[in-house]
Amino acid sequence: MESSILDSIGVEIIGVMSPVSICMLLVVLIVYSLSSSNPFAAASAPSIRTAANLVYLETPSDSTSQKFEGALLNALVFVILIAVVTFFLVLLYYYNCTGFLKNYMRFSAFFVLGTMGGSIFLSMIQHFSIPVDSITCFILMFNFTIVGVMSLFSSGIPIFVRQGYMVALGIFVAAWFTKLPEWTTWALLVALALYDLVAVLAPGGPLKILVELAQSRDEELPALVYEARPSVAQNGIVQGRSLDLLVGGASDSRSVEMQTMSSNNVDRNESQNLANSGYTVIQDTNFGNMEGLQRRDERDRSLSVGFLNDRRSSSSSSSEYSTVVGNHDSEIVVDEERSPLVDAQETRNGREQMRDGLENSEVSSRGIKLGLGDFVFYSVLVGRAAMYDLMTVYACYLAIISGLGCTLILLSVWRKALPALPISIALGVIFYFLTRLLMEPYIVGTATNLMMF
Amino acid sequence: MTIAAGIGYALLALGPSLSLFISVISKKPFLILTVLSSTLLWLMSLIVLAGVWRAFLPLKSNTWWPFAILILTSVSFQEGLRILFWKVYKRLEDMLDAFADRLAKPRLFLTDKMLIALAGGLGHGVAHAVFFCISLLTPAFGPATFFVDKCSQLPFFLVSAIIALAFVTIHTFSMVIAFSGYAEGNKVDQYFVPAVHLVAGMVTLVNFAPGGCVVGIPLLYFMAILTSLHCGKMVLRRLSETRQ
Repeated sequence: MESSILDSIGVEIIGVMSPVSICMLLVVLIVYSLSSSNPFAAASAPSIRTAANLVYLETPSDSTSQKFEGALLNALVFVILIAVVTFFLVLLYYYNCTGFLKNYMRFSAFFVLGTMGGSIFLSMIQHFSIPVDSITCFILMFNFTIVGVMSLFSSGIPIFVRQGYMVALGIFVAAWFTKLPEWTTWALLVALALYDLVAVLAPGGPLKILVELAQSRDEELPALVYEARPSVAQNGIVQGRSLDLLVGGASDSRSVEMQTMSSNNVDRNESQNLANSGYTVIQDTNFGNMEGLQRRDERDRSLSVGFLNDRRSSSSSSSEYSTVVGNHDSEIVVDEERSPLVDAQETRNGREQMRDGLENSEVSSRGIKLGLGDFVFYSVLVGRAAMYDLMTVYACYLAIISGLGCTLILLSVWRKALPALPISIALGVIFYFLTRLLMEPYIVGTATNLMMF
Repeated sequence: MTIAAGIGYALLALGPSLSLFISVISKKPFLILTVLSSTLLWLMSLIVLAGVWRAFLPLKSNTWWPFAILILTSVSFQEGLRILFWKVYKRLEDMLDAFADRLAKPRLFLTDKMLIALAGGLGHGVAHAVFFCISLLTPAFGPATFFVDKCSQLPFFLVSAIIALAFVTIHTFSMVIAFSGYAEGNKVDQYFVPAVHLVAGMVTLVNFAPGGCVVGIPLLYFMAILTSLHCGKMVLRRLSETRQ
């Protein structure tokens, strides 16, 4: 029996949703295990002053309006700080200070993995009374950190390790952010979603400028982005690409380019697809077609990066306000990581139609890219929901995942860099408050009386 | 009653769904997406129902008829939503078929359609289990347990997990039966599903009486077994028809 299309649709979306889900799950677990250590001291706000708390330190004893205003002020200051730092980085990138950027990235990854990861490990060791001595612990942490820095910025390390470390970075920063007080966290999330919208889409936005600069130079974005690589099936056909609808963000590893579709040749499939821009669900691209039909792959070279979101995880410990911003190495790095099967073809950067019977000629790293900042803030939202109840966790998880799905669909329609935060955060916040206010009396009332439907 | 008990209750309610997910659904990414969207749909239905009923809650727990009205309205709303889900699925099926034609691949097989229906039903079941059972399980991970007066033979968590398991079964198989019924125009199947859902909901009202869960839960399981048997019969019949 021939394989049906159901086997291969939607692989890329799952390739992005699974790390996001794993990140959220682990953050929820960390929040649960570490917060149960002192259930009665939960009301104690962190006394450390961070970039997110510059203006107002929330304490449970303040009045509602005070907390509200303070939270808004905190969020505003934080967003301004992020914007300033992002502009500064764009400036550095513009003047080609790539050496400085690269080393700064390595330093900040080392710092985050070492200190924030270290502090989480230490609290877990304390909480679970794991018997390990300090020298062993230090050596293990050191190894972990060094391998992390290497895998993120060098070649030759398996993609799986790299993806794992990206998720680990996201987890550590998110777990740290959940220590912020409640009102500040919600205000921060909403403010960041709005900032993201403006920064990526508005003409003067720093991220938009960054994307355009990277494209014009034909380089990779200087950012920490999670790349979901496609999986290659045994018969050499890349499974992931058969349905491109959802692959909006497929991108060529070498160029973050948004060429218009007109640059590609015409083919009835293609023109049909161009005409159907509204018809998001089934868009073209047949890759890996067994009958050897002419494969048009408008997509690949024409596609842009999935989500441009900078990984602005601004973390600050007590005295520093270091912004962890990702910087990516040049394209040489990425090239080497590509799977050997597609190596030969990547040079043909999409000038002509790729014909191919069985092999997946397309591109190198196709796959959707999601910025690390998105991972962090999704997990912060779910982590904060976890501090209330498991029902809100589930509702927020579903909201975020569906927001991500919507953004991916929009990506396949618009084919340009889109902010991944706004839709998901908006849905997440709405669902959180709806669930908290409405669902609880309804569900608990019937369930405790053992009446369900 | 400790983490082991908490995990045990969670697995009791969701174990079969988890094994179904791992063995069947996780192989095809499209089915995972179907499960997620189905769960989202039922979550939204619960939120809407909760919003509508918010003004009347909390209900006094000595009379049973407000609960009956609650269950009646909720079940009818959910069944209406199932028809909507079916319509969306029809459009999706047409799009998938068109896509398959373009790729010169075979159109959706009967088994594919049933798998999608199964994934949809699983999403419904998981949404039910999570919201009615798992979300209340947090205290079970601690050192104590809790009993309700009306059913004092078993801890509350165990009872809710058992009921949730029955409902997960009912929801999962109902969706397969319903989709097959709508596709074939088979009236028996089409009316079977809402009827079973309603009866199952009403049967839980029996739990309202003191000591009622001794009767209510076996009745509920009877409905669940009925649903799965009917689904099995229907699937076998359709598969043998297409083989001929």
